[in-house]
Amino acid sequence: MSTDFYKTSILPFAGIIIKLCRAYTNSQQDFEDYYQEVCLQIWRSKDNFREESQWSTWVYRISLNVCLTLLKKKKNNVQHFVSDSVTAEETEDNYAFSNESLNLLYDAIRKLSEIDRAIIMLYLEEKSQKEIAEIIGTNPNNIGVRVKRIKNRLKKILDGKIN
Amino acid sequence: MEKSIENIWKEGFLKSDALVAPKINNLYNQKSIHIIDKFKRMFKINLIAIVAFSFVFLIVSFFVGIPITGAIFFITLSVLVLINKKLLNDLEKIDMGVSSYKYLKAFNQWIKKQVSINEKMSRFLYPIIFISMILGFWYKDAEGMPLGKRLVNEVLKGFPDIYLIYGIPLIGIVIALLILVLLAFFGGRIYKWDLNIVYGRVFKKLEELMTDIESLRS
Repeated sequence: MSTDFYKTSILPFAGIIIKLCRAYTNSQQDFEDYYQEVCLQIWRSKDNFREESQWSTWVYRISLNVCLTLLKKKKNNVQHFVSDSVTAEETEDNYAFSNESLNLLYDAIRKLSEIDRAIIMLYLEEKSQKEIAEIIGTNPNNIGVRVKRIKNRLKKILDGKIN
Repeated sequence: MEKSIENIWKEGFLKSDALVAPKINNLYNQKSIHIIDKFKRMFKINLIAIVAFSFVFLIVSFFVGIPITGAIFFITLSVLVLINKKLLNDLEKIDMGVSSYKYLKAFNQWIKKQVSINEKMSRFLYPIIFISMILGFWYKDAEGMPLGKRLVNEVLKGFPDIYLIYGIPLIGIVIALLILVLLAFFGGRIYKWDLNIVYGRVFKKLEELMTDIESLRS
C-alpha cells in the first residue's frame, strides 16, 4: 500500500475505523490487528468504489464487513470470530480511552450481538435510519424499533441490571 | 444512569487522545487475517498440493507398475483441481463495499456452493480412487501374468468350487461393490466432517449473522 493512499484516503477516516474496530475487539493487540486488516482491505477494494456513495460511507461498509467476518487466532490457536462469546471476564481492554464513561459504554456495546453493535455504532455516528439500512442492507422501517431496543438494553447493562 | 448514551459517545470522543490511529508498518506485506483471504490461501495451497501429488504419483505409478492407478488418479484429481479453481475465481469476485447483507449473503452462498460441489464430488472421488487401486494392482505385471489373474489362480487352488464371473470370484466382486457403496455413501460425510472440524464455528456464526439481518429485513 502506498503511504500516500493511506494518508489521503484512509487516515482522514481513521476515526470511523477506530470506533468500529474497538467495538469488535477486546484487547489492544486485536484492535491493532483489526485496524490493519481494515486498512488493507480498503486498499485492496479501492477499485470497486463506484462513487455511488460517499467515501466515508464506503469506508464504513468495508470496515463493518471486515469486522463481521474477521478470523482471529486466539491464544490457544483455535480459530474464532473475534466477537464470539466475549464475556466481561475476557475483556482485557476496559480502559482503551481516558474517558471512563466511554469505556463502560464500549464494554456494554461489546455485549451486544454483532449486528446490534453495527446498528448502534451507526446510530451514534448520527447516520439516518435510511443510511443505516443501506449500510446493513435491511429494511429502514425496522431500524428505529431495533435502535430503541438496543438503547434500552445498553441502559440496563450500564445500570448493572443485566450482564 | 445520568447521561444518555449519545452524550457519553459525543463527550468521550471530544478528547484528542480518543481517536489515535495505531501505527501501521509494512501493511501490505502482512499476512491477512481475513477469512476470505484465509480461504483463498488454503484453497491455493490445497490445489497446488493436489496437482503436485497427482503428477508425482503419475510418474511413480509407471515405475512401480500400476500406471492405470496413476493415470486415473491424475485425471480425477485434475478435474477436482479445475472445478475448485473455478470456485476460487468466484471467491475473488465478492465485493466488500456492498451492504453487510449482500456481502454476507454472497460469502455464505459461495461457501454453500463450494461445500455442495465438493461434497458431491467426494461421493465419486473416494470410489474412483478405490477402483483405480483395484484396477492398477489387478493388471500389475506379476512374472508375465496380471497380478489379479495370478491371485485368482491361487484362490482356485484352495477353493476350486468358487463361483467366477468373467474370471473374477463372485465373493471378491461383492466385497468390492460393498466397499464402493460405503465409500460413495460416506464420501460426502467424510468431507463435511473434515470441513466442520476446521470451519464449523465460522459457518455457525455466518448463519447467525444472516438470521439476524434477515429478521430485520422482514
